[in-house]
Amino acid sequence: MTDYIFYIFLDMAVEYFAGTIPDCIHSMRRHDTKKPETASYERLVFRNASDYHYMKISLIFEGGNIRLNAAHFKQLIISSLRELYGEIGAALPFDVLKFEENTLSAVLRVYSSALVRLWSALTLLGCYQGQPCGIRVVQVTPFLLALSGNSRELKLD
Amino acid sequence: MVRFKSRYLLCEVCFADPRSRQCLEERAVFSAVRDAIARAHGDYGAACCAVSFTVKYLNAYTGILLLRCRKEHYRLLWSALPFIIHLESRGQRQPCRISSIHVGGTIRTCQRFLIRYNRQQLLRMLPGCQSEEERESVHRAVLSCSLKQLEEEGSSRDEDSD
Repeated sequence: MTDYIFYIFLDMAVEYFAGTIPDCIHSMRRHDTKKPETASYERLVFRNASDYHYMKISLIFEGGNIRLNAAHFKQLIISSLRELYGEIGAALPFDVLKFEENTLSAVLRVYSSALVRLWSALTLLGCYQGQPCGIRVVQVTPFLLALSGNSRELKLD
Repeated sequence: MVRFKSRYLLCEVCFADPRSRQCLEERAVFSAVRDAIARAHGDYGAACCAVSFTVKYLNAYTGILLLRCRKEHYRLLWSALPFIIHLESRGQRQPCRISSIHVGGTIRTCQRFLIRYNRQQLLRMLPGCQSEEERESVHRAVLSCSLKQLEEEGSSRDEDSD
């Protein structure tokens, strides 16, 4: 325990000599030093964590076995975008990173500024070749690493 | 305090065939612009602009058009204008081009801009005048450009000398 406190004081001492302590603490020691060195600290604010957002979605049909490949799937999403947002919306740049034909689930990547448009177009997707279908959004994250684990599908042995 | 703010887009319609400018109709322009927005921006754009979209002023002689829409969605309307290539009038399709020359918050600012613009256009037409009386009428038109004479509307008399 005393070691811990010792190390905290050591850290603070190192920071003091390196000049990175904020001004409020520095002013308390002003009577010690003759020339106050300008302590500057940098504050970085990230409003948007990442340029891209990744969505894990799955396509669900009401009944019947319908096979799709990745190109058809992307064409389906583009047609939904075109219906809702027109030609300019259909030109929204997004990528299908992964598509599994057996489970009809996919991972999409889209720019963060275009996330709302894509998500709303996926919500309003109605049918494919006359068959009613829907898209279930499983996960949306700005970091790709988060898609690797999902607490809903966690199996604890 | 809630007030509906709108944007007025002052546009100029250029026809491939100058004679077809006479058959410019408000209804034709209205439907053409609405269809262009629906094609370019889909259901979302059509709904956004349908709320408060009207053709406020149309001058068939000079091809000046004033459109009104909501302030939040005027960019949708503005970006859909270059996609208009025909105007339907009396069953015929006239190829045309709509270019916007000014965006204003009120009709009065657009009117002020239009008067200055018309004066510049008249001065540009002055060297191309062939006869003395044409030159005289253009001179008179330029001098009569003012906001006070509302019935003249900034001398929109078009000479066919070009």
